Amino acid sequence: MAPTSRFRAFTGLALAGTLALSLVACSSGSDEPAASGDDSGELTTVGFVAVGPEGGWRTANEQNIQDAFSTENGFDLKYAPSSNGDQNSQITAFTSFIDEGVDAILLSATEATGWEDVLERAQEAEIPVVLLDRGIEPNDESLYTSRIAPDNVGISASAAEWANEQFPDGANYVVLEGPPGLSVVNDRNKGWDEAVADNLTKLESQSANWSTEEAKSVFETMLKANGNDIQLVFAQNDEMGLGAALAVEEAGLTPGTDVKIITIDGTQAALEALAAGRLSFVAEYNPLFGEDAIEVVNAALAGEDVESSIVVPSTTFDSPEAATAALPDRQY
Amino acid sequence: MSTPVARPSAAIRVITGLFHQPYVWAIVALLLLLVVNLTKNPAYLGVSVNAATGNLSGNVIDILRASAPIMMIAVGMTLVIATRGIDLSVGSVMAVAGAVSMEFMRNTGTGSFGTAVVAVLLALGISALLGTLNGILVSIVGLQPFITTLVMMLAGRGLAKVITSGQNTSATNETFRWIANGTFLGFPVVFVIAVLIVAVLAALVRRTALGLMIESIGINPKAARMAGIRPVGILISVYIVSAVLAGVAGIFSTASVMTVEVAKTGMTAEMDAILAVVIGGTSLAGGKFSLTGSIIGALLIATLDKTIVYMSIPSSATPAFKAVVIVIICLLQSPRVRSMFNRRRTRVIITDKETVPV
Amino acid sequence: MAATAPAVTEPIVEMENISIEFPGVKALQNVNFRLFPGEVHTLMGENGAGKSTLIKALTGVYKIDSGTITVGGLSRRFAGTADAQSAGISTVYQEVNLCDNLTVGENVMLGHEVRGPIGINWRKTHEAAHEALIRLGLGDLDPRQPLSSISLALQQLVAISRAMVTDSTVLILDEPTSSLDANEVEGLFTVIRRLRDEGVAILFVSHFLDQVYAISDRLTVLRNGVVVGEHQTAALPRNQLISEMIGKDVDTLNSLGSQRSRAVHSGGAPYYSAKDLTRKGSIEPVDIEVHAGEVVGLAGLLGSGRTELGRLIYGADKPDAGIVTIDGKTTEVTSPVGALARKIAFSTENRRDEGIVGDLTVRENLVLAVQARRGWARPLSRREQAAICDKYLVELNVRPADPERAVRDLSGGNQQKVLLGRWLATQPELLILDEPTRGIDVGAKAEIQETIVALADDGMSVIFISSELEEVVRLSERIIVLKDRRKIGEIVNGPDVTAEAIVDLIASEGSGA
Repeated sequence: MAPTSRFRAFTGLALAGTLALSLVACSSGSDEPAASGDDSGELTTVGFVAVGPEGGWRTANEQNIQDAFSTENGFDLKYAPSSNGDQNSQITAFTSFIDEGVDAILLSATEATGWEDVLERAQEAEIPVVLLDRGIEPNDESLYTSRIAPDNVGISASAAEWANEQFPDGANYVVLEGPPGLSVVNDRNKGWDEAVADNLTKLESQSANWSTEEAKSVFETMLKANGNDIQLVFAQNDEMGLGAALAVEEAGLTPGTDVKIITIDGTQAALEALAAGRLSFVAEYNPLFGEDAIEVVNAALAGEDVESSIVVPSTTFDSPEAATAALPDRQY
Repeated sequence: MSTPVARPSAAIRVITGLFHQPYVWAIVALLLLLVVNLTKNPAYLGVSVNAATGNLSGNVIDILRASAPIMMIAVGMTLVIATRGIDLSVGSVMAVAGAVSMEFMRNTGTGSFGTAVVAVLLALGISALLGTLNGILVSIVGLQPFITTLVMMLAGRGLAKVITSGQNTSATNETFRWIANGTFLGFPVVFVIAVLIVAVLAALVRRTALGLMIESIGINPKAARMAGIRPVGILISVYIVSAVLAGVAGIFSTASVMTVEVAKTGMTAEMDAILAVVIGGTSLAGGKFSLTGSIIGALLIATLDKTIVYMSIPSSATPAFKAVVIVIICLLQSPRVRSMFNRRRTRVIITDKETVPV
Repeated sequence: MAATAPAVTEPIVEMENISIEFPGVKALQNVNFRLFPGEVHTLMGENGAGKSTLIKALTGVYKIDSGTITVGGLSRRFAGTADAQSAGISTVYQEVNLCDNLTVGENVMLGHEVRGPIGINWRKTHEAAHEALIRLGLGDLDPRQPLSSISLALQQLVAISRAMVTDSTVLILDEPTSSLDANEVEGLFTVIRRLRDEGVAILFVSHFLDQVYAISDRLTVLRNGVVVGEHQTAALPRNQLISEMIGKDVDTLNSLGSQRSRAVHSGGAPYYSAKDLTRKGSIEPVDIEVHAGEVVGLAGLLGSGRTELGRLIYGADKPDAGIVTIDGKTTEVTSPVGALARKIAFSTENRRDEGIVGDLTVRENLVLAVQARRGWARPLSRREQAAICDKYLVELNVRPADPERAVRDLSGGNQQKVLLGRWLATQPELLILDEPTRGIDVGAKAEIQETIVALADDGMSVIFISSELEEVVRLSERIIVLKDRRKIGEIVNGPDVTAEAIVDLIASEGSGA
């Protein structure tokens, strides 16, 4: 695969370069407000190294953060989404924020590993770093101030417990994972595997890259490979669960009856599908923790002690009725 | 070569002719992948009528369906590469086409046949526009194709996000859905459409002098100009064709799930397209091209993707597996290895077995 | 094969009964070849005669099907040039294979750098390079200057010293003189003689008869893969050599040797005329007229503007100014497309880069210009294409006459014929030929010259550009003389016009001004 990987590396470099250029442009443009903020102490400058458009959950989460860190609340938030989930572009953005001398950095890492160097640089520059949602590996708590996230392990464990209840006599199931290597994928696998009963048989686990289209294609083949003998799908996000539901329908089966589908996230689209019976169980992964993030940032800047891990509470939806009840208030 | 008794039959001549094609190893690999799947389930190639939906169902049908979008972008990419260019923007154009059609159908959601037609036309129109831009930048402004289409790749994905406000947009329209999920005379509609488009395009390229001119420009642009060929029109045309075909692929992709995933639709599709072209035996240096080869390349990539799932190869190992298969094919196709085999034809059979290291 | 070899010594290289067959071609058939120490031995033959094949067989680039190769008394079969080089056989090719971005010394010593305790000792490496250059009488050349800063001729000599660093006993020079001027050739010959006197066996390939007679002691003539003669050069009359090479009656050549005796087209309107045709940095304003059925020669040295003028007329370069009249109508030609539409065709001197489309077939190359003029939407039918192929493959005697063979597999002369066919197929009224006979063998050259005369006799206007003044004088009715991107004179050809007269004009114009 030499040509392709080199090619990808090159593309990655080019992307990073483009982003770096645009960041330079941004930072030079925003010099003045940042300086005045420092002088008067009115606005706290916060850099947000974000993932960018990825799906409903991410959009809700990042919108919530941006809304929370508003000028009214005393913040100047610099939002830097990644280039299609490329870690290089995130690292470039991160270092630019350090060089700019922002007051604090929020980080939603696209990949778990490889953050030690830049986190140490931030530490040297005495810039508190708050991890949002996604953790880093190895999880060295001394490198960052705090991590605010819903508990992936706990959420998928609750999904597994529901599955145990549904299939007391056992069942065959498959897992649709996110891209291999992400901490969220590892955590959701961990929570599930620890809690799931022994009489539930895992036939296989494949990545569908969080994508509906890929999940549909992957699950369509899984059904064929196993002669439709699959009773349960654990989809690690809503989009993949919806893709699996489409594949089930395409195969002439009925989701909810022939195949039960569990998803994690709890976006509006998933709750609608749950209400319609196409999904069977949706575990919420609460994206709304902008207020918590503000508290943590303020505390860190004031020099107070901050919990190194803050768990955002999440709920689960196990029936069409529950989904229907929650839908009117769904913000994402 | 012919025996004194009888001349070789037509079938044998076809097969020996095939052996001189650069994509022969892709065909061998394709067959081997199918054999590998058969070892898991002897009924792998079986096609049956699904009682619940009335459609034909089977792994082969799934492969044909999955290969359609790759075929589209691979064929477009072949023409661009033949002119010494490259089109990195196909994946992003897929996303733009998907975004435009989904957004349109969501907002004017009558779900009617007319809505679907307008959505398709809108998607193809904007794709053509992006292709024209690529073509003008390459041929008239004289920018390098790599840079031009790299910029378009970034801008296109950005555009898709703007169109849908960064959201994954879904819509409901039975006609549009039918494109990707329906069947026509038992075959998936996407595959039928893809074959029709390729046939029309192949006729356009090979029955007119377009192919000759594209190859001339790719092999020796100076000589082509001196011979009176106008490169500008041809270059713009191939980039438009590539983008419109990417638009078609985008429609195929999004119609399959009736959702455009702005960060996912068409992601790294350009890699698949380039690989299909290379596997099909067209040189990245431009010049001589083979549409048949690229189609076989697209089929191979689709089969490979499906085999990975069917054989339950762990997801962490899939990139390596894909890479190994493709590297082996590319190696077997390299002129040096091919000349080695031509000298020692007897060894071909032994090496066949080494092709797929499962 | 009356072989007369230098007395006493044993041959350093002896090739016996060598045969090589490529698909469809017997490239070499039972060829015997001997090379002695201390001689300059020339391989002669038309393109496609087997000269290159023989060299590649010797150096192991091609595998021989049968025969034996003995080098220094040992039977050898080399695996490639590197293997041959380690046995003392070095090759310097026509296109210099050196690294432009390295220094002279680095090029000479590449792969043989002097190593010290910590890697390469560059000072000693350059000293060694200097020694190697002195051996060839190139002591003045600074080994530390970049290769790109010295002339092509010197680069050629650097390539030779590089070959001699390995103490080669056999040096193969494949067309080393094709891009050198007279003085440079003399410099090269001095070096060759010096090496010969040291006992090196030198195998020399060249198209230029004068040079062959000036430098070689013996020569071997090949034709169609067969040795037709091995001779002491001094004892071989030129016309015998030529007839052995082309294998046909030398009368054809003799008949072309006389000047064209045609009525000069002084009366009547010219078919093509240009007034003050110019392009900045390319050529100063030039007037040129060509009548129907007339051959107008452009004479001048390399860089005189002869090629540039041809390109301006064809629109390959866009003229800045100039009034062009074709067949009585004032017009503008700004692109090859426009030129072809006005029935002008231009055969470039740069056959490989601007002429042939190598990977395409002979047929596709032949029809390319006609097809381009028709546009892509109106393809020539199979039959029309076959008609064009049949006509020009026969008329121009292209070999092999296989329309489906890739044109890159043809010899230079046959590629040139295919190109000529491409332009003739457009049925031009004005044909511009830039160096149509350069780098091709004598037989093909005569055929192309005959064709030009025949075309003009049929009423075509021809502009003929060549660096060989004799050729220009032989074929043209009028000669436009160019120098330093200016037209310095126009000569109506006649019995008293000779190549020397044109040389005199070019020489005196410089000193007179």
